[in-house]
Amino acid sequence: MKNNEIDGVLKAAQAPHGPEPETLKRVTESIRDSLQPVRPLPPRWVLTGGLILICAAVALAGAARAGFFGIGRMNPWERVLIFSALGIFIVLAAKEYVNAMIPGSRRRVSAGALLGIGTLVLIGVFAVSFRDYRTDHFISAGITCLLTGLLHAVPAALLSWLLLRRGFAVNAVSAGLAAGTLAGLAGVGVLELHCSNFQAAHVLLWHTAVVPLSAAGGALFVWVLRLLQRSSS
Amino acid sequence: MHADDNLEMLMARYQEGDSAAASALIYRLSPQLYRFFAAHSGSRADADDLLQETWLRIHKVRHTYRPGEPALPWFYAIARHIRVDHYRKSIRTSTGERKLEAISKTATLPAKSDRADDLAALLAPLSPGERDVLEMLKVAGMSLEEVARATSSTVGSVKQKAHRAYKKLRETLSGVRLGDGQGGGLL
Repeated sequence: MKNNEIDGVLKAAQAPHGPEPETLKRVTESIRDSLQPVRPLPPRWVLTGGLILICAAVALAGAARAGFFGIGRMNPWERVLIFSALGIFIVLAAKEYVNAMIPGSRRRVSAGALLGIGTLVLIGVFAVSFRDYRTDHFISAGITCLLTGLLHAVPAALLSWLLLRRGFAVNAVSAGLAAGTLAGLAGVGVLELHCSNFQAAHVLLWHTAVVPLSAAGGALFVWVLRLLQRSSS
Repeated sequence: MHADDNLEMLMARYQEGDSAAASALIYRLSPQLYRFFAAHSGSRADADDLLQETWLRIHKVRHTYRPGEPALPWFYAIARHIRVDHYRKSIRTSTGERKLEAISKTATLPAKSDRADDLAALLAPLSPGERDVLEMLKVAGMSLEEVARATSSTVGSVKQKAHRAYKKLRETLSGVRLGDGQGGGLL
């Protein structure tokens, strides 16, 4: 059977009737009763730019409070490589988050794929940049960095939610994943500016882990929230 | 000329509070949205309920439409969201009902379905995602790009789902044709 034959079967099989006229009348009346002008969401580039600024502000504020020891110890090559990769990842995650909050947006990559690819790229960049293979205070120093990164992801997530609160996520979990990814990147930004522990294993595991953990936290938070909303309705 | 050439204009006027534009959108899009729901549920009552719910949601989030962008994927993205929510709720309800049935152990004949059309039966072997894609592509007449936008996925993913859906339908329909000789038939 050819594709055009299947198309014909599909056309012939669709509902011959439409909605009840009373339904349309009811819908029209209920909408007309509450119809007021609304202000459309700002352009995508404004929202994306806002999210990028939030990430930069959180990262800079966090590092300003804790000290810019990490960036101070990096050589120019490492600075360019790490912060370019981080910057590109932040721009893509911000775009993805904005798209997730506007129905009918064009998607070039899913939130999950962006998280996976971005994390792998970060790992690659860190692996190339840091060649100290000692593992002194691996756990204690690592947990400190992980918590610092995740703690800074929280204000980034809250501020980005404030910016996009008028949006509507048709796939809330995917939006949560994108929001968590972006917030996690703000956390990594703080760590790269502040942390002067350049041991490869430390950076590869504990710094990078902030992004997937924050993303998972974002998705889980939204999933639980929706579950609670459903059970209460 | 594409049938939804001025949907975008109507949507912009709807955002400005023009009730004539709102009515025009409702009367113009409801039949195809209704068919979208009927293709999944097969029940006229469900399709009517989902249509009402969709318009109320559209009204609530109408500010999220960006003027100048394609309007049809925006409408379908919201309609799909409503349908997925309804599907999840119905799964929970049917699970509860099944448990009750197991407790009572009463043998009852299934109620006669108020099946609205044959499309729901035809698309039954497909996954919800494949059904969405095929319905939007072949019944609503949307482009790959529009379907990708409406389903929050990539064009590649839409193509893949459509390909799988055709494969399954081909198998189903070939089976039905073979069975026709023995008195069977889907449509």
